[in-house]
Amino acid sequence: MLEISIKRTLPGFTLDVKLTANEEIVSILGPSGSGKTMTLFCIAGLIRPDEGLIKLNNRVIYSSEDKIFIAPRNRKIGFVFQNYALFPHLTVAENIAYGLADQPEKRVIKKVSELLEVINIPALKDRYPAELSSGQQQRVALARAIAPEPEALLLDEPFSALDAYRKERLEYELLSLNRYYRGDILFVTHDLDQGFKVGKHIAMYDNGKIVQYADKHQVISCPVNRTAARLAGFKNLVEGQVVAYSDDAAEVFIPEFDQNLTVIVPASMKLIADQAVMIGIRPEHLTAVSQPESNTVCCRLDRKVHGVTTLHSYYHALNDHQQRYSLECRYLGVDQDLSAREEKTCYLYFNPQHLVIIPLG
Amino acid sequence: MLEPFILPLSVSIKTVSVATVITFFLGIAAARWMVDYKGRFSSLIDVIFLLPIVLPPTVIGFGLLLLFGNRGPLGKLLALFDTTIIFSWPATVVTAVIVAFPLMYMTARGGFEQVDTNLENAARTLGAGEWRLFWTVTLPLSWPTVMAATVLSFTRALGEFGATLMLAGNLPGRTTTLPVAIYFRLQAGQMREALILTLVVFIFALASLVLLAYWKAKARQNGRG
Repeated sequence: MLEISIKRTLPGFTLDVKLTANEEIVSILGPSGSGKTMTLFCIAGLIRPDEGLIKLNNRVIYSSEDKIFIAPRNRKIGFVFQNYALFPHLTVAENIAYGLADQPEKRVIKKVSELLEVINIPALKDRYPAELSSGQQQRVALARAIAPEPEALLLDEPFSALDAYRKERLEYELLSLNRYYRGDILFVTHDLDQGFKVGKHIAMYDNGKIVQYADKHQVISCPVNRTAARLAGFKNLVEGQVVAYSDDAAEVFIPEFDQNLTVIVPASMKLIADQAVMIGIRPEHLTAVSQPESNTVCCRLDRKVHGVTTLHSYYHALNDHQQRYSLECRYLGVDQDLSAREEKTCYLYFNPQHLVIIPLG
Repeated sequence: MLEPFILPLSVSIKTVSVATVITFFLGIAAARWMVDYKGRFSSLIDVIFLLPIVLPPTVIGFGLLLLFGNRGPLGKLLALFDTTIIFSWPATVVTAVIVAFPLMYMTARGGFEQVDTNLENAARTLGAGEWRLFWTVTLPLSWPTVMAATVLSFTRALGEFGATLMLAGNLPGRTTTLPVAIYFRLQAGQMREALILTLVVFIFALASLVLLAYWKAKARQNGRG
């Protein structure tokens, strides 16, 4: 179990986080510069926080109060760096064996060949890192980090240098690693999808703080505030006011649209009359229909952008205020109807199943 | 017949070998220490280490005379052991080390600082102490630069003239190095002898430059890989 509570102040930036991982993979998710890597460096002892406490399996490895700072070499924490940081002058086998210097040679040889099997590149043991593909380098970095059997493993954006095809295979391999490595894993990424696939819990980072830390399903279905909602992919966010509510649903008036929307409310959420709330929906869940139905908003298409497999289209809601409020839809595949809808009024359907409601204030 | 050439050559070879070995370890130790040292005197120490590069050799020689003279602090210290280094062979080594040290220190330090800190961090998280990390990561990765620094120090030690003359004098077979010998041959009007000695130094310097180019190419290769 890894327990962290640290603070570090730099000019214009303060890292202040509390986190607990219990023999599981925790994804640390956030934009670049939000303090994700700095957190890992503090845990590994590569930088010193200003204050706080770090415990690994009930062993204090850092405590500002008791003036404890265990050197990185004695922390038993494995680290996979963003650029892998493989020793360029050592072979694959020598890289993996680097952390096993205190063990008898026979065991080192056995362990290295075992790990080469695990990462599936036994034939490459005498190659140098520069002779490997980036995917192979990444696996060597992983093998090197787990060779000394660390109590925690820190992964700093290990997939960022890989192309999409390799990324998916390696994500899968990382997940299957559980069978070989048991311990806490902190996985830093800026990709929501990746964080969700790899982790069990997700810690949402923003500007040096943890905005939300919960089970991954909780994080993507019940964001706690605007920042958490944005990080969880709710690009369409509007403010409103509760006008009526029951146990499982609420009517919310949205001034931007000049109308009410029905939202399904989770059982755990307590609402009161007139409460200010925020409504969010993912671009993938917002659909355009040609006829007004319940929970639709009258809109006009502004522009559309074609991707390889997706079509992004941007609308603004038509209301009496003539305010332009931009909404984004994303479809898989290219929607044929859309050209016919250009410059025409259509209706966007806010499916209550997919709407999230966030109490404000 | 060859004696007039063999003597200064052998003095120079002895002096330069010993001086290069001393400079090598001293320079690496100082560079390694200064990379980590973040104290308030760090710039001051850096300046002191580099001073011999900017000072004229005669100033260095004069300073050393004051230091090692009968009334100088180091001279008094040596007097306790009944020795003096002025006008003796060790003086040629002392001056060679002092003028070569800044080149070794400066170049080696640059090499150490160029090593990716994440490689050193990786070694730390893999259980390596600072000592092991230096010998297994930092030094091997900056080895071409360190070798280039050694060649530079070697040539600088070989070429030292002014400070050597002032501190060690001109005692043939004991303190007369190649550059000193050339100067005195020329003074005596022995052009032929001076020319031969000059050629010897020239060959040495050329060989060093070839070595230097080789290590530089090697360093570039490492940087790419």
